Amino acid sequence: MMQTPELYASRADPHTVATFRALVDAIVPYTPELAAYGAEQPIGAVQQHVHEYMIWSLDHTLTLVLDYYPEIVPLAAPTAGLLNAGAAQLVASGQAKYAAQGAIAGSPVPFAALSPADRIRTMAILEKLQIDLGLLPPPYRDDGGLVKFIIDYLNRGTMFGNYSEWPGYGTTRLNTPTRRRLEFFPIGWRQTGYPGVSKGYRAVRGILMTIVREGGKSTIV
Amino acid sequence: MYDADVIVIGSGGGGAVAAKELGEAGLKVLVLEAGPFYGNKKWENPNSERGGEWSSSYDDLDVGIYKKIYTRYENNMNDVVSGTFRFGPADRRRTPWHRVMRQKGDIWQLAGVGGTTQHYWSQSPRAFPSAVDGVWPISYEELVPYYEKAEATLPVQFSPTAPKEELFYFAVQKAGWQKNPTLNVTKPGYRPNPNAILPPNPHLMDPKYPIDQLWNMDGCTMQGHCVNGCTAGSRVDTIAKRGTLVSYVPLALKTGNVAIRPNSFTIRILTEHDPKEGLRAAGVRFRDTWTGEIGELTAKAVVVAAGCIETPRLWFNSDLPFNSWVGRGLTNHCFDWVGGVFDEKDLMGIMGLPAVYPYMGHTSGARVDIPGIGIFQVSCLSPGLMAFLTYGFSEAGFDALKPPEPGAPWNIHGRVVGPALKELMMNYNRTMTYLLLTDDETLYRNRVEVDPILKDENGPIPVVHYVPSKKTLQRRDQLVKYSCESLKAAGAKAIIRSDTPFAFMLHLESTMRMGYVVDTNCEAYQVKRLFLADNSVHFNGIGGPNPTLTTQALATRTSEKLAQKYFA
Ligand SMILES: Cc1cc2nc3c(=O)[nH]c(=O)nc-3n(C[C@H](O)[C@H](O)[C@H](O)COP(=O)(O)OP(=O)(O)OC[C@H]3O[C@@H](n4cnc5c(N)ncnc54)[C@H](O)[C@@H]3O)c2cc1C
Repeated sequence: MMQTPELYASRADPHTVATFRALVDAIVPYTPELAAYGAEQPIGAVQQHVHEYMIWSLDHTLTLVLDYYPEIVPLAAPTAGLLNAGAAQLVASGQAKYAAQGAIAGSPVPFAALSPADRIRTMAILEKLQIDLGLLPPPYRDDGGLVKFIIDYLNRGTMFGNYSEWPGYGTTRLNTPTRRRLEFFPIGWRQTGYPGVSKGYRAVRGILMTIVREGGKSTIV
Repeated sequence: MYDADVIVIGSGGGGAVAAKELGEAGLKVLVLEAGPFYGNKKWENPNSERGGEWSSSYDDLDVGIYKKIYTRYENNMNDVVSGTFRFGPADRRRTPWHRVMRQKGDIWQLAGVGGTTQHYWSQSPRAFPSAVDGVWPISYEELVPYYEKAEATLPVQFSPTAPKEELFYFAVQKAGWQKNPTLNVTKPGYRPNPNAILPPNPHLMDPKYPIDQLWNMDGCTMQGHCVNGCTAGSRVDTIAKRGTLVSYVPLALKTGNVAIRPNSFTIRILTEHDPKEGLRAAGVRFRDTWTGEIGELTAKAVVVAAGCIETPRLWFNSDLPFNSWVGRGLTNHCFDWVGGVFDEKDLMGIMGLPAVYPYMGHTSGARVDIPGIGIFQVSCLSPGLMAFLTYGFSEAGFDALKPPEPGAPWNIHGRVVGPALKELMMNYNRTMTYLLLTDDETLYRNRVEVDPILKDENGPIPVVHYVPSKKTLQRRDQLVKYSCESLKAAGAKAIIRSDTPFAFMLHLESTMRMGYVVDTNCEAYQVKRLFLADNSVHFNGIGGPNPTLTTQALATRTSEKLAQKYFA
């Protein structure tokens, strides 16, 4: 059950990886223009490997009894398929703003071939169900509620991965959770000015009111 | 004959209270808990090794083990897929237990001794009297002595003021709200949160005491992020934030009458037909989550406190008699989340401080209560959680793709992505966020049921469905308006309304309502000797206040009634 990042990444299929890179890059991009605010500010989710966080999470989230015993149902590849199906429909409907139709039509990962803004637009049409649900891969096919749930999850999951300490687990980041070790101070925490976990702060500025208990009754002073 | 007087299923907000109260009444109690037991010598590595089977001694508790597991790191603690806190088996190599939800949102419940109170924020307000009197089958007056007892046991105290509370008080005073120093809220106003958190260590502000030392003494150290697990205290039972793992569970063990078996998922309530009583509970069947072995235990009464989803699931999966209200009437306070970004110079002017310091003090320490509408409360989180709740989680889609909303009291509505997100997150330290709790109308259509096809190792899995009423949404909009007004009055430069997904499930209540599924003693109408002691028995969403204290008051009362009725 020991799992190294190399092992796990080598099992993930390259189209899935490319799709999730494109996803997290659209949500938390690399931003060289923010360097004026600090050397760490340009770093984005791809540099922090947050696409791996998303793939790992989606592949470790669901167990069902399908035949005779409980089995893990991996969701990363189908979810990449969902984004790519959405991207293909965005382009086909002429709603993509910056994409060259031809370049995308032949791509196995049309989502990744879109501009970041069009990737966000893809998620928007998916979550509003302005797409042909019958053309989506299972388990999303004809299941609009599940599509809405997962599109929302892809956004908040990326943000949680990026701005929590997860990237700081470094080479242990894809280990089973009890075997992850913090290797450096998380960049997302530096970007936000969060000082890290603490044992306490001398932060009492006052007490506005107090409950006093006597004889089974409370009064407020 | 029987293995115990009473079996309690689940050891969270309500179950731990029942165990302690029944144990103190002299009854022999067995507690079955699906998740791990943290901070106990019987389970040194609870997330990677099976460890022991039962714990029945206060001496088993070990604060060293507890503090090693409670790392305070937000992803390690609170990742819903793989975190220390999740609704899943103790073995973190495995996936969480699934619930089907076909809408935006998420269900935030925890398995383990202490249940969801391990990461709750411990706000312990009473119900609004107006949501109980003339509405519930019992009166507010009837609840008061039990509130008093639970408040004294936890104990509950008003929050101290940290910088974010100071800013909040400034904001709500500017917006015209009056101070309301009470536990029984009958009119609008602001107050500190009545929280189940020990008062600050009296030496906290004395630099002669190093923080490391204070952390191993008793009393709150204002370490922040209560949501990621509290670690201030010298013993398990004196940890500052009073989740039931550190409050009621140690007291239950101290009675000498209670044994707890974690890693034990109850899959069926066993019943028998008694010639006089009719159908009655007689025991449980459970599955060991490490070995898969099935066990059965018998008792003279069963208390179910598995939470608002698993309690009705257990009813369905046990083939108990049909009742059209089982799983129905789910309320959830239909949350929203509003934030304000401040300038340093404004903060200097208000507090003489350059930041909000969202990571100091209680996760949430102050509120405005508005009976008939709900509550808004200052609530600040570590950056990963803050980013997703403020900018990544929305019923409204992407802010940038929406047409402008002229006259709206916010600048941003919905998700923020791309460079704009990064710029906002650079202001994390100067952002104050509010959680909004709506007085949620109870509707039959909002429900927990079981999937007709999908199963996990514990049986057919729950399906959760929640769509708020128009009235609920109007009240929520009103709370958003009040929240934005106060942020604006304090000088916020940008105001964000996340428009939180309706089905962000933290305050689930009322899926096995008193008067419909259980009687006023919280005994099931259709199954004698089966009592419920979790949030599910609430008649409604109690007007908006955080639900747990009411569950704890009721569990205290239910234990008394159970002991009187069957063991007098
Ligand atoms: C982030 C967050 C913050 C919160 N903050 C507050 C707050 O400040 N104030 C407040 O009042 N409320 C708060 N809440 C809500 C609070 O956590 C719940 O109201 C409370 O925990 C409910 O108690 P319960 O007994 O109904 O369920 P739980 O506490 O969830 O306990 C149920 C227990 O039963 C176990 N279980 C389930 N099924 C089985 C089974 N089949 N067999 C054996 N065991 C089983 C579970 O593992 C769990 O331990 C918060 C919730 C969250 C998520």
